[in-house]
Amino acid sequence: MTFSTLRRGGLIATAIASLMASPAFAKVTVLGWPGGPEETALRAAADAYNAKPDVTDANKVELLFFNRDGFWDKLQADLAAGSKAFDANLLATYSIGRYAPFMEPVELSDEAKAVYGDSVLTTMQYEGKQFGVPTDLSLHFMYYRNDLIEALLKDDAAKAKFAEISEKHLGRKLEPKNPDEWTWDDYAATALYFTQAVNPDSPTRYGTVLQLKNLLFNMMVFQSLPRSYGGNWMDESGKVTVNSDAFRKGLEIYKLLYDAGATPRDSLSYEFAEANAAYASGQVAAMMQWNAAASDLTSKEKSPAVAEVTETIAPPAGPEGRFTHIHGLGFGLNKNAENKDGARAFIKWLSSKDAALIYARNNGAPALTPDVVKEVAADRPDLVKLGAFASKYGYVMNGGTSAKALSVYELQAKEFTGYWSGQQSLDDALGKTEKGMTDLLK
Amino acid sequence: MTTPSQRAPSSEFRLLAVPLVLFLLVFLGFPALVNLVYSVSEVSFETLRSPEITGFANFTAVWTDSSFWQASWFSFRFGLLTALLECALGLFLAIFLSPLIEKRSWLMAILMLPLMVAPALIGLMYRFVLHEFVGPVPYYLWTWFGASFSFLGPASAFWTLVVVETLQWTPFAFLLFHMAYQAIPKEIIEASAMDGAHYRHRLWYVELPLMAPTIVVALLIRFIDGFRVFDNVYVLTGSGAGGSTASLSIYIYEAFFKQGAIGKAVAASVILFAVSFAVLYGLNALAARRKGAR
Repeated sequence: MTFSTLRRGGLIATAIASLMASPAFAKVTVLGWPGGPEETALRAAADAYNAKPDVTDANKVELLFFNRDGFWDKLQADLAAGSKAFDANLLATYSIGRYAPFMEPVELSDEAKAVYGDSVLTTMQYEGKQFGVPTDLSLHFMYYRNDLIEALLKDDAAKAKFAEISEKHLGRKLEPKNPDEWTWDDYAATALYFTQAVNPDSPTRYGTVLQLKNLLFNMMVFQSLPRSYGGNWMDESGKVTVNSDAFRKGLEIYKLLYDAGATPRDSLSYEFAEANAAYASGQVAAMMQWNAAASDLTSKEKSPAVAEVTETIAPPAGPEGRFTHIHGLGFGLNKNAENKDGARAFIKWLSSKDAALIYARNNGAPALTPDVVKEVAADRPDLVKLGAFASKYGYVMNGGTSAKALSVYELQAKEFTGYWSGQQSLDDALGKTEKGMTDLLK
Repeated sequence: MTTPSQRAPSSEFRLLAVPLVLFLLVFLGFPALVNLVYSVSEVSFETLRSPEITGFANFTAVWTDSSFWQASWFSFRFGLLTALLECALGLFLAIFLSPLIEKRSWLMAILMLPLMVAPALIGLMYRFVLHEFVGPVPYYLWTWFGASFSFLGPASAFWTLVVVETLQWTPFAFLLFHMAYQAIPKEIIEASAMDGAHYRHRLWYVELPLMAPTIVVALLIRFIDGFRVFDNVYVLTGSGAGGSTASLSIYIYEAFFKQGAIGKAVAASVILFAVSFAVLYGLNALAARRKGAR
């Protein structure tokens, strides 16, 4: 083997090694949420940031994505192992407490408060410190078929049937209402009325579709109900308050709807995709669902049976008002980052008005204040509702950003689905949840 | 006189065994040691490098956790039922289709297709095949009978999972039995026929005894596979309403990642390892005793 052959081999090996190790050489490596509108928006924001004249080559942003499946578990393992593969990483409201020990608080731009508002900024806070910039917000809409509701409101015979059904199942006669005035009882009565198992004349097979799979995200959808009755995870003193009338009422309403057949029998295996498919079939009158479903359910191509008759409003009201669970996806700083200053600068810029508008115009879902969102309202009318609902009805449960928040959701998912499926009593479900949450949140 | 197998290992043998031993120590021994330490420690993702030894609290937590026993019972029932069904079906197909396969061997490729699909994808596929508004099965049930059957409801989820697993893995049992059936010497079959044995007698007294070792191995492999099931069940139903479809693998995964209870998850896996080892050791000893008795 000649020296030149060896040298050539060495150069090729070095080139291959450089290619394989490219993330490690990134100026500022940002780990993002792959494969959805969030990725598109982040790519646009990173391009805009890199094009800024004051961003040096040493601080340009490179993006890194892993697979969405098991993302949070993999991120947890990486952070715990002290990974330096990324400088900034995605984080979510419900997992901040779990990741906080491996991250550092960040400083946002002076505009952040005016761009996002206080309630949205809190979705990225843990123990009073800001751990990230809230780039995408998730909350819940009540999706309903306005053609069905309008027909119901005009028909006296239907109103009489509605009253009869509500008296039989809910114990009192109710009148059909405009969905924007619904209480949870009105929603339940409407769901029962549009269920063929209850009302054989119903134009839809089911009045609603509940996503009841033993899955933590489904608990987030459910909890706006007990919250509107005053429910919370803990009181101000830190005592777990889940074993309450509010949670009891919420669990009973879901059980009533499931047992009456107002939601498909397989709902106990349903999550986001299954619920959307059920609603999009045209055989469901109304459902609570994540805002992320809005674009598909109102698209004539994707949901031809319901796109033109679907409306979205905030969740129904309880005695305490209307509430929607909110959580944010955002970006924070890895404690073991190799380029902390560069990552800090990017995160600070990402919280500015310019960055938020770029992110919004490129499919992102930031919850922006009314003054800011009006600048993108023509392109993104959905963001107007998102921002308005977040500021008016958004809540995070006490303890909802704690280190054990995900475990609490998991526990609730197991115990509550156990009740809905008839495997245990309501008292047992609430008792076990209270005990488990007390252990987790102590 | 000593036979070659009774002689002490030579230095060359020892030298050649070093890479294998090192490999086992690094990739099996070290993780096993870490697991043993974690199983008697209070450990979280924050303290992975500095676990605090606390004794057997994790084992007690697992032992007294009703979810652990629920998952163990699910795994046992699931493993046993699917192993029996797959082997029964596989055996029936291997014998019933034998004349056809002999003439048209390309049919084997078609019958093996389910094995080519990853279990997680099978779960995903059935998630939509069985969906009331998307899947073809509920569609035809509704069209023909006006009924909406719940495939993944609390009462039926277990049996649906059993059917899904059986449909995917029966071809594996079929393949083993087909090979074993083909390996039976033709002379023996012909001799029994000449002795006037009826087909049923030939099957019962000649063919099945000759296939018995393969049947035992197939049952064991399928039981182990069914017992440790994860992918398709997790994709189809997760851990199920109230944890009703959580297998032991799912229990351990959820304890580790979802609850962050690392010590508890590792303790459960140590218990599982110990029980598996005891069962396999017992079976091995039983087989050795039977061999010695012959």
